[in-house]
Formats: sequence, C-alpha cells, structure tokens
Amino acid sequence: MMTKVREVLLLLLLPAFVPHTDGTRYSLPGKPTEIKCRSPEKETFTCWWKPGSDGGLPTTYALYYRKEGSNVVHECPDYHTAGKNSCFFNKNDTVIWVSYNITVVATNALGKTYSDPVDIDVVYIVKPHPPEKLEVTVMKDQGWPFLRVSWEPPRKADTRSGWITLIYELRVKLEEEESEWENHVAGQQKMFNIFSLRSGGTYLIQVRCKPDHGFWSEWSSTSYVKVPEYLHREKSVWILILVFSAFILLILIWLIHMNSHSLKHCMLPPVPGPKIKGFDKQLLKSGKSDEVFSALVVSDFPPTTSNYEDLLVEYLEVYVPEQQELMVDEGKDHDGCLKSIGSASDSDSGRGSCDSDNLLMDKSGAAKEEQQQQNQEGDQIGTETQGPKEAWEKETMLCANEDVVSPDASSKKVKTWPSVFSPVTPYSLSPLDPHNSLEMHKQNCLSDTQFPPGSPSSDHCIKKALQSSYWEVCFNNNQPYPQTDVHQQLQAHSDRNISAINDGNAPRNLLLPTRMTEYVEVQRVNEENKVLLHPIPSGHTREEACSWVGHGDNYSKVKGVNSDNVLLLQREVVEEESMEMAGAAESCYTSSITINTPKPTTCSHIALPVQEERVLAVSGYVDTATMFSLDT
Amino acid sequence: MAQRRIRGGKLVMVLCVVAMCRAVPINDLIYRASQQSDQLHALSTMLTQELQGSEVFPIDRVHACHTSSLQTPTDKEQALQVSESDLLSLARSLLQAWSDPLVVLSSSTNVLPYSAQSTLSKTIQKMQEHSKDLKDGLDILSSKMGPAAQTITSLPFIETNEIGQDKITKLLSCFRRDSHKIDSFLKVLRCRAANMQPQMC
Repeated sequence: MMTKVREVLLLLLLPAFVPHTDGTRYSLPGKPTEIKCRSPEKETFTCWWKPGSDGGLPTTYALYYRKEGSNVVHECPDYHTAGKNSCFFNKNDTVIWVSYNITVVATNALGKTYSDPVDIDVVYIVKPHPPEKLEVTVMKDQGWPFLRVSWEPPRKADTRSGWITLIYELRVKLEEEESEWENHVAGQQKMFNIFSLRSGGTYLIQVRCKPDHGFWSEWSSTSYVKVPEYLHREKSVWILILVFSAFILLILIWLIHMNSHSLKHCMLPPVPGPKIKGFDKQLLKSGKSDEVFSALVVSDFPPTTSNYEDLLVEYLEVYVPEQQELMVDEGKDHDGCLKSIGSASDSDSGRGSCDSDNLLMDKSGAAKEEQQQQNQEGDQIGTETQGPKEAWEKETMLCANEDVVSPDASSKKVKTWPSVFSPVTPYSLSPLDPHNSLEMHKQNCLSDTQFPPGSPSSDHCIKKALQSSYWEVCFNNNQPYPQTDVHQQLQAHSDRNISAINDGNAPRNLLLPTRMTEYVEVQRVNEENKVLLHPIPSGHTREEACSWVGHGDNYSKVKGVNSDNVLLLQREVVEEESMEMAGAAESCYTSSITINTPKPTTCSHIALPVQEERVLAVSGYVDTATMFSLDT
Repeated sequence: MAQRRIRGGKLVMVLCVVAMCRAVPINDLIYRASQQSDQLHALSTMLTQELQGSEVFPIDRVHACHTSSLQTPTDKEQALQVSESDLLSLARSLLQAWSDPLVVLSSSTNVLPYSAQSTLSKTIQKMQEHSKDLKDGLDILSSKMGPAAQTITSLPFIETNEIGQDKITKLLSCFRRDSHKIDSFLKVLRCRAANMQPQMC
C-alpha cells in the first residue's frame, strides 16, 4: 500500500521536478495591474483590472476590498455584470464618503499574486453615461435658419434630486473633409442653439456630460442634420448697398453735368485775351487785319497835349531819310504806327507782349509823322529816291525787333551823330536852307515828341542817319558817281550837325539830317574833280544798289542809353561798319577826292577801329564826337 | 423744514433698502451658497492633486479626520431622506469645524517643499475666503429656515501647533472630503428649493 502511495506521489510530483520537454514553464500568475474603478451615478461602481501573465496555468482572479476604518476583508460580490476582469459593486455594497482599499489577487496552480492596493472614494470617480435622446432641429429666426440641439441626461444619473449635477458640452462639425469640431459648453442646460450655418450644408453633432466634480462621459452618438438653402443675409445687404451707391453715383453725374460750365470756369479759368484799347478780337478772328488796325485809330493821336509821361513809350526823333518814301509809305505801317501809339496808352495788363510792337510802331509812326511834316515843309529839299523805301520798311520791321530804348536815350548822343560830319570840310551854305529847315523840322520833330525822354524817335533818327550814310556809302561802292552825292549829303549832314551843335546841348538841337537827305545821282566827274550831281528821279537804283543794304541785318541798332544820356550803339558788325562807313565816308571822302577810288571798306578798317576802340574804352559807348575829333 | 424733509427722505430710503435686502429669495441664497461650496471643493481638489499627484490619498491610516465623528449620510437614499434643516446644519457644522484647521494649515506651509509653498499659501488663503463667505451665507439661510438649522455640532480641532508634512496631507484629504459633503448637501438643498425652477437642478 505504501509503495503504491509513494508511486502516486512521485507521479504527481514528477511534472514539478522534471523539466518539460516542450519548453513551456509554469509560473505564478502575473500581477494584475491598472485597477480602475468608475461610478456612473454615484450609487454603484465598477472596478476593472488588467490581468498579468497567467504563468501557463489557468489563473483565477479575485478582488478583495476593505473599507475605511474596518479591517474586515470582503470579496467582490459580482464578477460578471461588468464583464471580464471586473467587479461590480451594486447599491447595497456602495457607500460614499468612505474609501475602499481594493486588491486584486491572481491565483493559479502555483500560487497567488497580489496586485497593488488602490484606495478609492466613490464620489471622486464619477463618470456618467453619455447624454441620451439627442435631437437636432432646424428652426428659423426671421427667415434665417439655425440649429436647435436638445438632449436628455443619462438615464441613471439622478439630476432631479440634485444628487448629481451635470454639465454638458456639445460639438458640431460640417460633413466634409478637413473640417474640425467646434466645441460649445452648454452648462447645466439641456438645449443649445447654433447659428451662422452654411446654406445647404450637413452637420454632425455630438454631446457629452460631466458631473460637477468628476470625469467627462463619452461622446454620444452622432446626429446628422441638413440645412436648407437660403440667401445669405450679408449678400442681400451688399446688394442693397450696391444699388444705393449706384443711385447716388447717377445723381452726382447728373449734377456735374448740369454744372459743367461753372465747373469748367472754376477749374480751368479762361485765358485772358489781348486787351488792346480799341482792339477787336472778333475782327482779328475774321482775318481782316486792316479792319482791326483801323479800329485802333484813336482820334487823339498823336497826342497833342503834353501828357507824354503817361505814355509808356517815349518818342525819339525819327530821322527819316527821304520824304518821298514817307509820302508813299502811307500804308498800313503808317496807320499802324499811328494807331499803335494811341493804343500804347492803354493801361491793360495784356500790353506786355505788345509793348515793343507798340513802341516800335510808335517810333515808326512818329518818324513818319515827322517825315510828313518835314515833307510838307521841306519840299525844297528835292525829290527823294525811293531807294530807302524798302529800307524804311525793313527798318520798321527791324524796329519791331529792337529793344525798347530807354527814355534816357541821349539826345546828346544823337546829337553827336551829326557831329560825325562836323569835321568834314566846310561846305557851302546852299544846302543850309534845307538844312535849316531840316533842323527846324528836326526841332519840330523833337518838340512834337517831347524830349527829354530820350526817345526811340531819336534812336530812330540815328538809325536813319546811319542808314542814309550807309546807303551813301554803298553807293560809293557800286557807283562811282554817288560819291559826290555822298559828299553832298555828308556835307549836308555835317552842316546840319554843326548847326545843331552850335545851337547847344539842347536835345532839341538834335539834327535830323535824314530829313533833308536827298539822294542825287552823280552823273560824272569832271576834270576838276568835281562831281556833278543830279537828283535821282526814282529810287530804283537805290533799290538795286541798296537792295543788299536793305537787309534786316544791316541796320545799326541802338543798344541803349546810359545814364549820361549817351546812346549805346550795338556793337554789331553792321553797326560798326556803318559807323565805320560813316567815319570812312569822311576819310574815304578825303581819300576819294584824291585817289578817286572808292574803298570804303578798307578805309573803314583803317580809319575807325582805333578811334572807336579808344572811344569805347573810355566810357563804354561810342562817342562819335571825340572819335572824329581825334582823327582830325 | 428743508432739513426735516431731507431726513424723511433718507429714512424712507433706508427702509426701502432694508426691505429689499430682506426680499432676497431663499432660492437665490441657496444658489449662491452652492456656488461657493463648489468653488471651495474645487480648490481643495486642486491642492491635494498638486501635492500628491494622485486621486485619492489613503485616509484611513493611523489618524482619521477630526470630523469623522459627525454622522453624515453614506449613500444616496440616506442623503435624500435628510431634511433640509439637517442638511443645512450638517453643512454649517462641517464648515465651522474647518475654520481653525485652515488657519493652522496656512501657518504650516514652511514644512512643505519650497516649490509647493507658494501654491499652498495662495490656495489656502482663497479657501479661507470662500469658507468665510459661505459661512456668512449659511448663517443667513439658517436664520430663515427655523431653529433646527441653527444647531451646529462642535468638532474641535485639537492640533494648534505646527504640524508635519504627513499631517498636512491628511488634513488636506479630510478637507477635500468634507468640502465635498458640504457641496453635496447644498446642491441637494438647492434642488429641493427650486420647485418652480427646474433648470437649477
């Protein structure tokens, strides 16, 4: 018997001692871990654990607990209600505000393994069930839809008695990719509104709850809702704004159109037109300049009163070379000159551009007037050629281009011009009468034009003198016979000049030899070296001769008058030449008498430069008196 | 004459104010009280979690809470059977029991690690404030609810000197539970009072 028992024992114990051939090893069960207990309504609770390795043997688990303040160990009453590896404590076994010390034991054939104890208090482990009966409806607020979400608390949670106080939270999402949940805390209320919906979109909604001091429940099941199509409020507002602004814009355009004229005046003020007294713009537009200028004729021109100071233009004595051409030249220039003088007194601001024109016209007008006067009185002088006519015309043109001569145009300077001829050998007094008359005329001219303002007229006279001398010289170049003519003229000039000088420094003594200038033609030179002259009936020769003279650039220009009433002549080639010519005429004369070969240019070159330079070096202006006095 | 009129006006105003003050409904008082208790418990929970880092600190070790002698309901059925006055009395008693320990706690923070000292001090100060406000509110409330609500069970706190760290953590755990009890009682009370306003519960 005993041997049999031993055999059985050995057989039984053999597997324990003899290692298994298949490699599996039996061991104690692993320690259960992660004991988690939760109470859904603060009335019951459930604990779950995670079993460890079973050790290859069937393992059983047991949960033991001990209450606070008691050493009695109890075992879990219910292992099945809550599932595997769980322990369910029902209401009878659950007490609150009492901590439980829970331990899970794993048992297999080899032994037991105890888990770490866990202390819990039911009130701290409350995790309710999710809310129930989630309902979402689309409602309308004045035409705009919104979602109304409502739910019920979980069935078991007793919120009515206040045993559990639940706080709810819901989340919303559009049914499309890449859209995220939008959470809203609803507090203790069981209803919530969602606004600003997308027209025609589908929304997903979930809700969950939490006790005041506990854990959040799981999210409830998703509820789907589709929002109907509707016109967005913002769009309608924008449409209204657009229509309104378009309406206002139309009104503005209409207003601007109605007031376009006044606006134009405001923004683009009209340019003031020419304001010449008596100047009619309409006539000008029509293209009839004759009428325009005739309209400018003022009855009180030339001003006979002594109100010349009012006029901007100062008159100079005009030295008209020939009376005939003045007579002939009663064209529009003359009229224009007369008229312009009258208009020069206009105090309009738009006068600036016309100033020089007016002035020059004044000069020419005065000149012509004086010429007329002289013509009337000085017929005895003789006929005049028409040569300078062109020159006269061109000179008037040139006048237009010249600068306004300052009022200080020296009569003295002008006076000196005649002195050019003074050193010339004395001459007979035959031309004195015309000379005297000329002088008188000159005086008249001067008186008429009222010095001391220096006068463009004086300038004009000078020019004329220059021109005449120049022409005379040119005659020297082209025709041998005009020399005597020149001579005579020069003499005449000089006579007048002398007389003028003798009369004193009064500006009125300004000689106008040009008035008395008569061009006579040299017929021949007799054996006594006397030049026979005869008046030139027509000015054609002169014209031919002096056609080239009459270029606009051959006129001497008065540059200005300095403070000493000295006439500043422009240092142009022409002028110099003419000056030179003037001087050369003298020297040429002297030389021509002897040599009888006209070379005025060369003479001029020889004669004058030194003098001129010297003179100029002294005071900066040409002093013909000193110039030629030095020469002699 | 003008002075008399002014005085009369003032008197009327004072009376009105008093009348209005008394006109605060009980529901509102309870609601405010429950809010205060909620705050109190939240603070204590936060404090214990910061110091221990775990949900529950084992209480039933050597020492129990000084308020354990107070009989309170242990489950829902029991709690719902307690009368309003008793509920209020319990709440007030518990609240009263913790006024001194909070003072002791506030003065014992230097025992704790330096990092936790400031947090503990601040939180304890807040808890004291809430506790004070709640006490005042409950006093007013109890005066309206009858003599039964006026009884307060005395729960003395023996320790007056500074306590060690273990004591602090246990004390905080006890306070956490007691604040939760107060909060629960007041919320039950709130729901019972809000018969006409179900949204409160």
